[in-house]
Amino acid sequence: MRGTAAAAWLARRLAAAAAIVFAVVTLTFIVIHLAPGTPFLPGADRPVDPRLIAALTHRFGLDQPISTQYVRYLSRLVHGDFGYAFSQGVEVATALGAAVPNTLLLAGAALILDLAGGLLLGLMQAARARRTADIALGNATLFIYSVPTFWLGLVLVFVFSIWLRWLPPGGTTTPGLYESLPLLGRLADRFLHLALPACTLGVVGAAGTARYQRAALLETLGRDFIRTARAKGLTERRVLLVHALRNALLPFLTLLGLSLPFLLTGSVLIEYVFSWPGMGRLATDAVLARDHSLVTAVAIIASALVVLGSLLADVLYAVADPRIRRAS
Amino acid sequence: MTFRTFATTCAALGLALGCSSRGACRGDYCGTLVFVNANNPKTLLPPVIDNTGARDIDEQIFLKLADIGMSENTTGDAGFVPELADRWEWDDPRTLVFHLDPRARWQDGVPVTANDVSFSFDAYRDPALGAAAQGALARIASVTVRDSATVVFRFRERYPTAFYDAVYQMWILPSHLLAQVPRTDWLTAPFGQHPVGDGPYRFVSWTPGQSLELAADSTFFLGRPHIRRLIWRFVSGAAAGVDQVVTGQADAIDFLGSPQNIALARKAPQLTLYPYRGSNYVYVELNLRANGDTATPHPIFGDRDVRRALTMALDRAGMATSVFGPYAKVPPGPMPQLWSIWDSTIRTIPYDTAGATRLLSARGWRPGPDGIRVKDGQRLSFEVIFPSTSALRQQYARLMQAEWKTVGVDAQIQPLDQNLLLDRLQAGRYDAVIQGFGADPTPASGILQHWVRGAPDRYSHYQNDDFDRLVTLANSGSVTTAQAAADWRSAMDILNADAPGIWLAAPDNVAAVSSRIAGVKIRPDSWWSQVWTWRIPADRLIDRDRAGR
Repeated sequence: MRGTAAAAWLARRLAAAAAIVFAVVTLTFIVIHLAPGTPFLPGADRPVDPRLIAALTHRFGLDQPISTQYVRYLSRLVHGDFGYAFSQGVEVATALGAAVPNTLLLAGAALILDLAGGLLLGLMQAARARRTADIALGNATLFIYSVPTFWLGLVLVFVFSIWLRWLPPGGTTTPGLYESLPLLGRLADRFLHLALPACTLGVVGAAGTARYQRAALLETLGRDFIRTARAKGLTERRVLLVHALRNALLPFLTLLGLSLPFLLTGSVLIEYVFSWPGMGRLATDAVLARDHSLVTAVAIIASALVVLGSLLADVLYAVADPRIRRAS
Repeated sequence: MTFRTFATTCAALGLALGCSSRGACRGDYCGTLVFVNANNPKTLLPPVIDNTGARDIDEQIFLKLADIGMSENTTGDAGFVPELADRWEWDDPRTLVFHLDPRARWQDGVPVTANDVSFSFDAYRDPALGAAAQGALARIASVTVRDSATVVFRFRERYPTAFYDAVYQMWILPSHLLAQVPRTDWLTAPFGQHPVGDGPYRFVSWTPGQSLELAADSTFFLGRPHIRRLIWRFVSGAAAGVDQVVTGQADAIDFLGSPQNIALARKAPQLTLYPYRGSNYVYVELNLRANGDTATPHPIFGDRDVRRALTMALDRAGMATSVFGPYAKVPPGPMPQLWSIWDSTIRTIPYDTAGATRLLSARGWRPGPDGIRVKDGQRLSFEVIFPSTSALRQQYARLMQAEWKTVGVDAQIQPLDQNLLLDRLQAGRYDAVIQGFGADPTPASGILQHWVRGAPDRYSHYQNDDFDRLVTLANSGSVTTAQAAADWRSAMDILNADAPGIWLAAPDNVAAVSSRIAGVKIRPDSWWSQVWTWRIPADRLIDRDRAGR
């Protein structure tokens, strides 16, 4: 009975997720098609005969009414055909196939930094609540949280790439050398290229997570079961790390779901600053080039990732907290 | 510890664990050159490429019949360098015969023939492809095959740049690989993603938006290229490209841009800077027709004297210094420094704010209560648009706005998305636009494209029969080279006097190339065209020069 209810809940959530993705696709499709311009925009240094643009527009069906184009797009989509990415000169699926893994790698690394760093800072602050260290860390995290990510990225490039020459300023690997490196060298090369963009995204996220985590821990530390644990003679470290932290981790799952949209939207600017060839940079190029198919496909992937991330967080929350499970 | 040291340490650790580096290279034909480019190509099929990024790459893969030399001469055939054609002669003033080099081969082993030349001409002239060179080839009546190694060009008329048009505008294409592909499919044809050429480098791999690799063709008939691999890394903007070369992640960038970038590159010990004549210019195009109504004169720019006054009000030399530092000149017309018609004796409108004020007052524009001039109830106010992606033009817009304000002119600056901007230009829905133009080496290209009657990009709606006549004359074969130069100068005098645009700057270009590269020569119109003659001495090789797939 309990299993049936859980399956029904999951089915409802999945249906809602599909509806959200569908709504995003529809909205994106309409907005990008209503925007003035053409995907066949001539390059800055090459004039193109307007008759040729008209011919291409006709050939790819972009002169049809938007409703006709939409229906045609959906029918292709259900067959797994995302269309042709004019701004990249390849099929949309090929462009996404190259970009999505890069974005997931960047977002995954940033997420780990965000959650691990935020958890650690939150713990440190809660353990020293209202003391100098807590106040200093609170001000520092507030400052970092309010810093625009692209600005932080530019500063990090200047300091660690241009000035100190410790880390590469962009890209995913060292061109010309990566392919010939042995396995460890390749991993190191990847890691070094990932360091700055992941830190930029992760540090700003960690600052927000730390403030959230501190508040959750302080609230938990005031509860009766903590008082009981202390009365039993447990060390403060054990009280904090075992009893308080475990309970304060529940809101963390919510943060996990909320972090995904932040990371994906944040990565648009970060990928641009670091020439990171992911979905964000692809989306920027596609929007500027009015590449309808690519913009819509990126919106589909991004919304699906966000919705599934949120769903995963809900499921984990329900698994971790029996009260939520019963309520569901 | 630098990044390179760290990576090398990791590589050494990997080797110690039993892995091995592949394809190590020694000797005179090693080397990997990494270029950065912010222009991500969509296709490499020459007639349908649409940016300089694709052109730079095609330059290594495909050959022309002959190419312009380092002198950049475009008149007659002096200085031109043989490529696919090893010699040529004029049968008569309108018939040019090329003899193909019998050693020329496509990279799949098939010989290059006269059929390929004829096929290429046909493709470049096909309206279905919309090749940029289509207009420039219009004066060639036909290209016919005399025999498999001889091809004949017949021109509609005799003119000074006939040879230039015949050879410069077309890369020769492999007819045996492309003849069966419908022209309407060329934009998306697989050949454009995996081209087969006849040049010094052959295509290896391409990850769109990330990187592209070429390998030297060791059998290249004009001589084996010394540098074994060329890699393009596509970056998200010019600033990111500069960071890549400054930190040693890449070896070469064609255009450093701002004085700040040049200063940064100058400090990088591993780089050498190469200044060269610029092929682009920045200018304000004024709409001589009413905003949104091409049948009516513009209420402000329809008046020649007002246009002249607006030009006089701007300290263009000061603005160029402010934006480009010492790396730009104010052009004597719509022209880059590259053009042979650049001539300091061309009459230009001077910087004269007092004169501008007098002229505006004389035309009835009197200062209003807020300092902005008014005539018949109309304020001297207009909108200046420019692409939002161009920081340089934004800087110019602000400077012009401030200077115009001192003479009672209100300029509203409006950055626009490139698509929207083009849409408004084509519909005539604008007042003034800050444009940038990258020109090829002959003045005919840019002038015929923008300023004469019937020009495809004549957004200003400028029209002057005397100017058109002089341009036609300068471009015809009935005059001597000296007379053509005089005609161009007179045409520019007329254009400057009419002031349909304000010529802001013609920047110098400065490239940065790794100091380990020897024999670097940069041709201003196509900066990487000589790469196949560059080399890296054995004692300057670094890890990535020896590395290979």
